[in-house]
Amino acid sequence: MKSSKYSWFFLFTGEKMHISEGVLSAPVLVTGAALAVTGISVGLKKMDYEKIPEAAVLSAAFFVASLIHVPIGPSSVHLILNGINGLLLGWLCFPSILVALALQAILFQFGGITVLGVNTVTMALPAVIGYYVFGRLIKGKNRLLSLAAAFACGFFSVLLSGILVAVALLSTGESFISAAKLILLAHVPVMIIEGIITLFCVTFLKKVKPELLGGVYEKGL
Amino acid sequence: MKKGYNIRSSFFILFLTSIILTGSHVPALAHKVMIFAWIEGDTVFTESKFSGGKKAINAPVVIFDKDGKKLLEGKTDNKGEFSFKIPKLTDLRIVLNAAMGHKAEWTVPESEIREAGNIVEKKSARASGSIAIGLSKEEVKKIVEDSLDKKLRPIVRMMTESKNKGPSLTEIIGGIGYIFGLMGVALYFKNREKKH
Repeated sequence: MKSSKYSWFFLFTGEKMHISEGVLSAPVLVTGAALAVTGISVGLKKMDYEKIPEAAVLSAAFFVASLIHVPIGPSSVHLILNGINGLLLGWLCFPSILVALALQAILFQFGGITVLGVNTVTMALPAVIGYYVFGRLIKGKNRLLSLAAAFACGFFSVLLSGILVAVALLSTGESFISAAKLILLAHVPVMIIEGIITLFCVTFLKKVKPELLGGVYEKGL
Repeated sequence: MKKGYNIRSSFFILFLTSIILTGSHVPALAHKVMIFAWIEGDTVFTESKFSGGKKAINAPVVIFDKDGKKLLEGKTDNKGEFSFKIPKLTDLRIVLNAAMGHKAEWTVPESEIREAGNIVEKKSARASGSIAIGLSKEEVKKIVEDSLDKKLRPIVRMMTESKNKGPSLTEIIGGIGYIFGLMGVALYFKNREKKH
């Protein structure tokens, strides 16, 4: 919340995947924060020396991705890149996304400090799920299957994030169906684009640095 | 095999370039929503829009008083505007509720309403009171304030809009710097752990 004695206005702003300050009720904020702390502690436990630079690079990518806009309808949506984050980092994407979100909140006023927990969960949890569901397929020998899984990982991470945002918005009295419909419809282009980005990243990494995909997987499980 | 790899990698580069290009010409922060309000006489005018410049059409607007009691509500028209008569002498908190967690707020403080109210009251007292010869002090004051209101409105708007500018390059690069700084700190501590 920002307020100033001299300016005669008081402004709140909001954007889509990032839930803004003052929208959610306290129980939702606390639940989100608790879940985020759990995820982060699991992530930090799994963090070893070699993983730190990788987490930082992906955190930076996530931080900047929100500035890449896809114009759609009356507004526009931005890239999230949580799929590739989860795929490469596993549980480590929790701290990685938290850092990026905190900086976005401080520097860009995206989201906010009190909603940090909820926003971390809505974006990092689908990433971790994507890692467990698609990681093995992506690592596998079957080329076509691996590419399809890479696309699906990027696609479903955004989809799940949208659903989680709708769940969080339930407490505001917004009906789940209408909120979910709006968020998901707006994010269909993002899902497709992120699917393609994840696909390209996986193809690229398999050629250039396959241990980046494989190594994580062995350690993660 | 070799050729296929080249074609694929050039596709990859093309794809990255296209992302960077599309990203750079779209106005930053086009997904923020904002509302601003100003007083004219006894009416409060509001205007709502997304920071990309698109109007927020048909969005519900709710007006609260100082204690959070709902005074009235309405919807923005197809120009994103909504106006209402001042319902009560209090701080007016104007909340725009668009879907998907979009929310914007603007407060019109009591002092400002009182000032606007004073002008109206004085004017009516004057009109019913006596036949004015020439211009009284109040009338001059009112005329000046009216035209000032009108002249200043665009400036107020500009100020609001500049308050909502997207992130600057400094902030973006600063953020990335923070992330790598944190990486350095994490590496430092992990390294010490290793040594001990």
